[in-house]
Amino acid sequence: MGSEARRDAMTVFWQILIDGFAISSLYALGATGFALIFGVSGVLNLSHGSLMVAAVVAAWAAGDSLHAGPYMGAAVGVAVGFSLSLLTYFVVVNPLQRTRKIREEEKEIFILTATLLWGIMIQQLIAYFYTDNAKTVAPIVQGVVAIAGVRTPSNEIFTAIVCGLAIALLWLLVNRTRAGKAVLAASMNPRGITLLGVELSHVYVAVWAIYGVLVGVAGVLLGMFLGISSYSAGPLTASAFSIVVLGGLGSVPGALVAAYVVGYLETITAYLISPAYRTIPALLLLILVMYVRPRGLLGRR
Amino acid sequence: MQISTARLLLIGLGAVAVASFLPLWASGYVLGLLILAYYFGVFAMAWDLLFGFAGEVNFGPTFLIGVGAYTAGILDNLYQPPIWLCIAAGTAAAVAGGLVLALPALRVRGPYFGLTTLVAVLMLQNFIVVDAHLTGGEIGLTVPDVISISDTTNYLIALWFMAISGAILFSLSRSPVGLILQASGQDAVQAGALGFNVTKHKITAFVISAFFSGLAGSLLVFYLGSASVGTFIDVTVGVQIIISAVLGGRRTILGAVLGSIFLIAMSEALRPLGDLANFIVFGMALIVVLLYPNGFFGLLTRTREDA
Amino acid sequence: MNRSGSRLAALAAGTALVALTLAGPASAQANGPIKIGVIAEATAVAGSSIPQAAQLAADEINAAGGINGRKIEIVSYDNHSSAAESVRAFQRAATQDHVNAVIASYISEVVLALEPWAGRLKTVTVTPGAASDVITQNIAKDYDHLKYMFHGYATSTSIADATCAATKDLLVGQLHMKTAVVMSEDAAWTTPLDAEYVKCLPQVGLKVLDHIRFSPDTTDFTPIFNKIEGEKPDVIMTGISHVGVQPTVQWKQQEVPIPMFGVSSQATNSSFWNDTNGATEGVLYQGFSGPDVAVTPKTLPFVQAFAKRFGHTPSYCGYTAYDEVYYIADAIKRAGSVDPDKLVDAMEKTDYVGTIGRVQFKGKDTPNPHALKIGPDTITGLMLQWQSGKQVNLWPAKVANGKLKFPSFIKIGSSN
Repeated sequence: MGSEARRDAMTVFWQILIDGFAISSLYALGATGFALIFGVSGVLNLSHGSLMVAAVVAAWAAGDSLHAGPYMGAAVGVAVGFSLSLLTYFVVVNPLQRTRKIREEEKEIFILTATLLWGIMIQQLIAYFYTDNAKTVAPIVQGVVAIAGVRTPSNEIFTAIVCGLAIALLWLLVNRTRAGKAVLAASMNPRGITLLGVELSHVYVAVWAIYGVLVGVAGVLLGMFLGISSYSAGPLTASAFSIVVLGGLGSVPGALVAAYVVGYLETITAYLISPAYRTIPALLLLILVMYVRPRGLLGRR
Repeated sequence: MQISTARLLLIGLGAVAVASFLPLWASGYVLGLLILAYYFGVFAMAWDLLFGFAGEVNFGPTFLIGVGAYTAGILDNLYQPPIWLCIAAGTAAAVAGGLVLALPALRVRGPYFGLTTLVAVLMLQNFIVVDAHLTGGEIGLTVPDVISISDTTNYLIALWFMAISGAILFSLSRSPVGLILQASGQDAVQAGALGFNVTKHKITAFVISAFFSGLAGSLLVFYLGSASVGTFIDVTVGVQIIISAVLGGRRTILGAVLGSIFLIAMSEALRPLGDLANFIVFGMALIVVLLYPNGFFGLLTRTREDA
Repeated sequence: MNRSGSRLAALAAGTALVALTLAGPASAQANGPIKIGVIAEATAVAGSSIPQAAQLAADEINAAGGINGRKIEIVSYDNHSSAAESVRAFQRAATQDHVNAVIASYISEVVLALEPWAGRLKTVTVTPGAASDVITQNIAKDYDHLKYMFHGYATSTSIADATCAATKDLLVGQLHMKTAVVMSEDAAWTTPLDAEYVKCLPQVGLKVLDHIRFSPDTTDFTPIFNKIEGEKPDVIMTGISHVGVQPTVQWKQQEVPIPMFGVSSQATNSSFWNDTNGATEGVLYQGFSGPDVAVTPKTLPFVQAFAKRFGHTPSYCGYTAYDEVYYIADAIKRAGSVDPDKLVDAMEKTDYVGTIGRVQFKGKDTPNPHALKIGPDTITGLMLQWQSGKQVNLWPAKVANGKLKFPSFIKIGSSN
């Protein structure tokens, strides 16, 4: 009886490790985008969740109405995420950043409110055309594999790999390319970079474009792995927001670390305590951090 | 040149007096619509006090409202005390909730404050769904008592409650306390340097906002005869309150009522369009935010922006 | 008065004018049409069938001469799935549009919010789809005020009973299963459902090994399925409504070798196959209607007429909404009047064979007055399974049109 109990415990351990990793990677991708936009553009984009949902629904619709294969559907989803992100910048965020009718100190509040409204509008439009039923995207990878004796859907591994690739690419872009370094510099000192002759507006557009791709990929992966509905928009934004605050507003590495902390906390809770209380420990951690160390785990300011 | 407080109050009083005669010819349906708009007007005014003046964006006004409404409703369900007692209890609970929220929340700045208020709403929502045997869960709570069955009575109560709340909140905003709040909101460092206890004033604003939110929420429960997450707590309800205040004009208090009436009237007028109605209403709100950030009230009064 | 002041006064006058235009003329006609208000979630997949089916029924009744010569008029209100909007719509229906009865919603939250108003405005209200036991428990507590409310669908407890009856024949009788794990979302509607499961499943021969309730916000079901698999039950008894697509898709992706059986509201939608990209193959779900299932002689003619007119088959609450228009009309005819109290008396005596079975309401001295009677002589319900893109009915035997069939990763009899 002893060895069976140990075998069960080992199984649960591997299950937690694998499942937690997949979920955390997904959180990480979404949160990274959110942190990037805040770090560089200074905008807390409350339509984040809606953009992800839009990407998923587009991918699903491509599969459903146009009978596109899973690759085509994914491409459509990412393209929609990309376009909506740029649209958000040009229609909602940029006009408010440039307007003279609002005082500088109040602009942040207005942009928050405007992105919130914009997010809800997108959510309503999606619900209108496609109802609020949950949608899943046909997975690119199917079937199961056994890892350390644990039966794992191949899709989960695929998700983790793609998230990792996307984040690695982002890191390469920011640290190794000239354009990326401009983005990094802009996040630290927007005025300074204009002195170097870089068009700040170009940097912003680039960042929103990258953000759009991240959001599109994260959304499509989420749709393949877990499924999504127009109701998810709010919780997705709240989740990204919480992770980014936990990690430290403006710190992309912080968001990454926080994503894994939250992902594993939730998974461990679901396995070992109860699935009904899944979200509570992460919420409590957030409150604790805000009280004790408001600048987050790796925050700069 | 700002319009004097007295003049605005007088105009407001006139409007309220006229509105009091509406039940003579309007149908129960219109009265019901306006009752909801008036209560939401109070929610929005309470929010504006905190945001427009204290400068704190509260993403979870529904935390205070929900605490008030559910306390009143649950109390009535459990023990059936007189309604005024339930309402008083609900208001007191909301004030306590406001204090509990204010203390940690005011220690943090800007976006963190917004997040704290949002987290508060999510936790309340979680608690209500999990403790379904007490709160009715996601299905909601029905209360055995209501204030009145008569449309006219309910309408007049809502109207005059809104009028009195508005008068108090507005006078507060124009009073020395209000000016200090405004200063704290716009430049806390300078206000502190001038010798004002910024934190104490902000907590006061929180408590006042909580008082009116809780009171209005409790009254609303006893008008509707039920409470549910979807009517009192959901983030979309909070968004409607924020939009009402911003549409009406931030930092005007009275504008919030205009915004609230507009929002509800528009939703009803666009009802035949189905789900698209919400999209259009929020779209309008977005346009106002982008192009007319001073809201309706700002458009009308066109005060010169204080530099 | 300066310019700003006069602007404000103009606005106040304008607002009053708007309010006035909203207030229409109050009129009531003695021999005009009989109006039935329909408050529903017109853009939700399930809800859209309610106003459509009601209109179909009204047109059929009118074509046959109406009720004593008076036509039925359906007045439709979209409540956007909001309880607050439903209350406003109800007020409008009762006080402005003067409807004689209301058919409202499949969401328990909405129906509960409307219940006190049905009493206040003395308007007979029937729900085609909500399942909460509380609706009828409230009527027991305050009969005189709330007697206008009728629950035109099964309560959670009745649904659990119907599921147990199907379990007895299909799972215990045919597949010789012995154990089950109950898996449901942690919500108010599943509390009576689960309580009844735990009670009636052992009575039909299934031992309940565990009872798992998960947060309705759950998106990752892997831990839950892993835990259930570890306990090795023969079947997973479900109680899910808010979620549906996600657990089903993940169940298939993970290749959980245990079948899912029980209540899964989303699985009743004909679009569920597409929504899950076929992952729902083999899932069994309780329902009161199914494609090509002739529950009564009226069922299939209704489905055909509906499909011909609207281009798709009705959702589950379309069947009940259709029946409700008919038996409300029947009650008005028997009462000889639209007076609310007389209508209530007539409704209580309803004995009508509709599209889902024989409709009768429980009496005022029962714990659930005005609830539908569920049982072999009235309404039994069905047990359906998704097979190759189609919803196939497996129970009761006399209206079954298929046999149990599971995907290859399912192992029947996995208990040791």
